[in-house]
Amino acid sequence: MRLGRYDVTLEPRTTRPAFYSSLTAAGAILLALALASVLFLSAQTPLLEAYRAIFSYAFFNPNGLLATIHRSIYLLLCTYAFLVPLRAGLWNIGLPGQVYAGGVAAFAIPFVFRTQEAQTLSLPPVLLILLMVASAAAAGAVVGGFAGILRARFQVSEILVTMMLNSILFWLVAYMIKEGGPFMSPRGEGESFALPPALHAPLLWGVPFTAVLALGAAVFLDILFAKTPLGYRIRAFGQSPAAARYGGIIPLALSLLVFLLGGGFAGLAGYHYFAALPGVYKISGNYGYYGDLSFYGIISALIARGSSLGAVPIAVLFAGLSLGARFAQGELRLPFGVDYALLGLLMMTFVASHVLYQFRVAWRRVPSLALRHAPTQLPPG
Amino acid sequence: MPKPLHADGPSAEPILAARALTKRFPGVLALDHVDVEVQEREIHAILGQNGAGKTTLMNILFGLVQPDEGALFLRGHQVEFRSPHDALAHGIGMVHQTRRLVSAHTVLENIVLGHPRVRGVLNLRRVAPEVEVLCNKYGFTVDLAARVWQLPEGERQWVEILKALYRGAQALILDEPTSTLTPPEVTTLLAGLQALVRDQGVTILLVTHKLPIVMAASHRVTVLRSGKVVARVRTADATEDMLVRHMIGRDIAVRTGKRSGEPGLPVLQVDRLSAVNDKGQLALQDISFSLREGEILGVAGVTGNGQDELAQVLAGLRDAVSGTVRFDGRDVTGLSPLAHWRVGIGYVPAERVEVASIAAFSLVENTALNYHFDPAFARRGLLDDARLEQLTRNILSGYDVKAPTARTRAQHLSGGNLQKLILGRVLSRKPRLLIAHLPTQGLDVEAAAFVRAALLDAKADGAAIVLISEDLDEILSLADWVAPIYEGRFGAVLPRAEADIETVGAMMAGWSAKEVRVQ
Repeated sequence: MRLGRYDVTLEPRTTRPAFYSSLTAAGAILLALALASVLFLSAQTPLLEAYRAIFSYAFFNPNGLLATIHRSIYLLLCTYAFLVPLRAGLWNIGLPGQVYAGGVAAFAIPFVFRTQEAQTLSLPPVLLILLMVASAAAAGAVVGGFAGILRARFQVSEILVTMMLNSILFWLVAYMIKEGGPFMSPRGEGESFALPPALHAPLLWGVPFTAVLALGAAVFLDILFAKTPLGYRIRAFGQSPAAARYGGIIPLALSLLVFLLGGGFAGLAGYHYFAALPGVYKISGNYGYYGDLSFYGIISALIARGSSLGAVPIAVLFAGLSLGARFAQGELRLPFGVDYALLGLLMMTFVASHVLYQFRVAWRRVPSLALRHAPTQLPPG
Repeated sequence: MPKPLHADGPSAEPILAARALTKRFPGVLALDHVDVEVQEREIHAILGQNGAGKTTLMNILFGLVQPDEGALFLRGHQVEFRSPHDALAHGIGMVHQTRRLVSAHTVLENIVLGHPRVRGVLNLRRVAPEVEVLCNKYGFTVDLAARVWQLPEGERQWVEILKALYRGAQALILDEPTSTLTPPEVTTLLAGLQALVRDQGVTILLVTHKLPIVMAASHRVTVLRSGKVVARVRTADATEDMLVRHMIGRDIAVRTGKRSGEPGLPVLQVDRLSAVNDKGQLALQDISFSLREGEILGVAGVTGNGQDELAQVLAGLRDAVSGTVRFDGRDVTGLSPLAHWRVGIGYVPAERVEVASIAAFSLVENTALNYHFDPAFARRGLLDDARLEQLTRNILSGYDVKAPTARTRAQHLSGGNLQKLILGRVLSRKPRLLIAHLPTQGLDVEAAAFVRAALLDAKADGAAIVLISEDLDEILSLADWVAPIYEGRFGAVLPRAEADIETVGAMMAGWSAKEVRVQ
């Protein structure tokens, strides 16, 4: 691009200092908040009050903090569901569908063992809870693996398949929980039966045990990719399928594996949201909202550049801001959708910072010689 | 043999002439004062090996590249082609080696696409009769309503020729027109081209490295070698023998590799091996040879004659259609690529950036590409990073790879250094059989010499090597056996002593072994 006598180009950075990564992320957050002030000002809300409402609820209010943690766990599990296939160069857009599958499969366990109403359980509750977790992960893995097989065996676009599965599973859940469905609540309110208290996920310091799974997976996945032969194979395949095949890596097995793993994480996210959150313990009628929320997992995986530990602060930020902005909206009578707008701004500034991280803007003075119009000579004839 | 229309008459004003064309690319003199004269109504062949400058010459004639020196003349008037638009406006059309058609569109739509007259509103009903008249005039029987993807390759090519003629081309440049055609399609094409010249007065410039095509179809030949015109003859006066000599050159120093004292144990036995390419066409046919420890088989041929498929089948990356590959007496046909690495077969592919390395990975991670499955490089389920780094450092120093550190990304290495790294990595596995495909292509003299020396060292250590190369000097200097390959077949497997440059060169250009022997 030419501006006057200067040539402005984006050039790839040759060196990328490590602190630069955190610096650009911090800059992106500040810029998003600054841009959000336009929203608050247009609603005639004092800026400081708006920001205080958002942050104090999300990170300092006991109820808000707990909600932030719960939502962070959910977003983190969704992040891994996208991140694992991404490292193999494959795009898992089917997070909502896999989440729904996990939720339905978790509730299938008490349904099958007829424990949804009776006070007496046929099996020890710990065993039933473990079965629910395993069943949720397996269901997510099956849905993900379906896309993985189609991709590996027949070269069907995994993006299209996972996307379409979302819709199928959305309606499957609707069939299961709405009036007349097998999982219908006894009072018929368009939601599933509630889990009996014995099957509520155990809490550690008031937080469901799924927090341990989410944080453990953050450490596990980074080690898997950085240190193990399997992680190496996944990364090699993601960078260059041809080189990976040359090196003896089997594309079919790998594509299937990453989708099984990814789908498994999304299934766990479904278990977490519907069967482990205090105050929920059912598939509520607005389950679609949580499906949509899972897409923030894509964004945080991309912003974290494939690092599971790096995704932790980003998932916490997204969780906190989405809850805080929703709270501030009610508290300060802000217009509807302020929380979505804030997250949207954050996404945009993160993407922009990504570009600035990898490229730099170079200004170069155009030599006056080059500006001169070159004489042209028409060919005769 | 077609008769030139003015074979004996006084030389008329050439329709297209290039005078003293010179073109330099960084480090390469692609064209060195090249003069070409194309007479009207003739098929003029430009013959040369890969890298002789054919492509550059053709790109200049079509306005894709501008010469550094020299000029183009059209019927005696100097012209300047700054883009293909200028060339098209002067009646010069081009048919590229790969098709440039919209495969979902019909033949008619493709023919009129981009024509200056249909730029605004496309009225197919109005142009259809025009194109039909044109087809009838040239005797083409292509269904105008057919979609291009439904047509066989030979007919697609005709669509491109027709497209050029519809734009008013008087002279057509055809780049390797037979490379993707089956033999019957080649016959049809050549007959059609001759009819075009004879009946319609079109002039054709045929750019190729295939000798039989030149002999069968052209009136005159200009032979290029290393950017210079080395011969300019009437085809009627030429023999294949003579053209081969011009194309390959005689005055090449031959340095032979070390002879091994006694033959080693047999390592590789290939029996009647056939394979198809990615399009499903038979690309490798009935290849048979055997190789012992410490022997090098040089497969000599112009790229695209089945070398890719041969290398890939031997490395386990492509399935054989029929035939067997036995390694150390064991049938390895159909084993996975990983199994090939494990039994001791090493592969250095031609595509060093796309296949043999991963640009965004560090050199250590690139080393792991051949070691991630090796139990010696795994500790408690993790990759042994320290050991991989040590091995990478050894390769860097042992193979003279210039890189800042072992953690540098592979993308920052030059071609020569990358190739030395890849070769060092593969040889560090001490393979009993090494498949080296174009190991010195594009390397500077020093790096190429280093790679060749490394191959000879591996041979001295007892490795059997299949060396696939376009460089005949390289093959003659290194190999114990020479196998010229043409259209997926070995012309012969000759002991080095019997493989003289003329015989091998002729076989690379499509002479069969029988003809050469008779001579």
